[in-house]
Amino acid sequence: MSLAQWIGLAFLAVFIMALYRSKRQAQPDVLARLRPIPFFDQLTDAMARAAESGRALHVSLGTGGIASDLAADSLAALSVLEAIARRSGTFDRAPIVTLADAALIPIALDMMQEPAHKQVGLQPAPDVRWLTSSPPAYAAGVMEVLGGSEVMSSVMVGAYGDEYLLMGEAANRLNRRQLAGASDPTVLPFVWATAEGMLMGEELYAAGAYLSGRAWHVHSLLAQDCVRWMIVLAILVLVGFNSFF
Amino acid sequence: MQGLSEVGADTSSQKKGQVVTRRASVAVALVAGVIVLVDFFFERGAPDAIARYVLYSASVVAAATLLLGLITLTKRHVDKLIRRAPGRGYSAVLLAALLATLVIGFVGGGPGSPAMRRWFEAVLFPLEAALFSLLAFFFVTAIYRVFRIKNFESGLFIVVAIVVLLGQVPVGALIWDQLPIIKDWVFDVPALAGVRGILLGVGLGSVAVGLRVLLGMDRPYSRQ
Repeated sequence: MSLAQWIGLAFLAVFIMALYRSKRQAQPDVLARLRPIPFFDQLTDAMARAAESGRALHVSLGTGGIASDLAADSLAALSVLEAIARRSGTFDRAPIVTLADAALIPIALDMMQEPAHKQVGLQPAPDVRWLTSSPPAYAAGVMEVLGGSEVMSSVMVGAYGDEYLLMGEAANRLNRRQLAGASDPTVLPFVWATAEGMLMGEELYAAGAYLSGRAWHVHSLLAQDCVRWMIVLAILVLVGFNSFF
Repeated sequence: MQGLSEVGADTSSQKKGQVVTRRASVAVALVAGVIVLVDFFFERGAPDAIARYVLYSASVVAAATLLLGLITLTKRHVDKLIRRAPGRGYSAVLLAALLATLVIGFVGGGPGSPAMRRWFEAVLFPLEAALFSLLAFFFVTAIYRVFRIKNFESGLFIVVAIVVLLGQVPVGALIWDQLPIIKDWVFDVPALAGVRGILLGVGLGSVAVGLRVLLGMDRPYSRQ
């Protein structure tokens, strides 16, 4: 094993320890003490408005895929979709889910058939659309979906490239309320320029904790903070070491 | 009463079946994840061979889901044509292009054949390039929206953007010779520090998501 692999292994071990430590020491009110991220309130508001208007919410899971390097972004997008699916039992019109990775189709379909629909006696048929795996063509497909009169707001979360701007601007031009999140620093300015609410960088991966409040999601946020402080400390020590020795 | 008890038994066996399926899917995901993770640390030997097999199997499953995507896409557009829905002309074009690609693929000798390459180079690539060429115009409208000062943040953004724009072009140095130096400082210090901060957070977030899935705490592949 190379030095980099040893460091990687040590990092994973530290992260797992931090995760379990967070679980043991977490306070009961930890969820309430998380810093507020406006995106999640705006998402709830967008869902309520879609339910009131009888129009659909468009949910884009990005141009990345679950089998790619950007799988974490797609998994984070699925957390958002899961939350939307759970709360969409009162919708007259099922959210329109568009995706570029065909492997996400069965997962998205399964999520959109959540029991929430059955609880209130409504079962709008899931509307999951695989458009294409090519990012520019996907953007064109989303622009067409947004152009439909049935769309009220658009939620775009996941892995995106420059094609995000095409979709973001289309939503703006059509006066669709837009919420978006991305992790790529080169895409974030586009998100900032076009979306009403945004998830920036690591906030994307916090979606599960904020929306579902699931214990392990919250604990992993605490573990992230713990490891982040360790990295900050390591950077300061190394800078000091390099400066004085 | 007998009928009701039969229904109850059916529901109970269905639930048991669901639990077994869920546990099996979690076990498969855990084992596959651990194998691929172990392979990251061992470049040769049995872990590498097993991980290759797992990844190959995953690519076969991914190909199958692509077929599923193709079927849903075709179904949707055929349905649009049958219902004579607005925009059905585009659906007809899409289905014709799909059929043409299939025919060229089968007759021309597969995905890597010269005929297929020509088809992609003549149709798909120019269309994608045309779409991406629109980015410049979209960029201008986005910038116009951002350049309306709403708060301190957008005001600061405008000032920095103007300084960087002037520092990038030769006329900037003529206006004030310090502008290119300030531009370089903006790129190298605050912008780079911000990007590194974001990337650090993204890296930690990705590890957290990966570990949650790997340890079975997060199961997007089965209802939790």
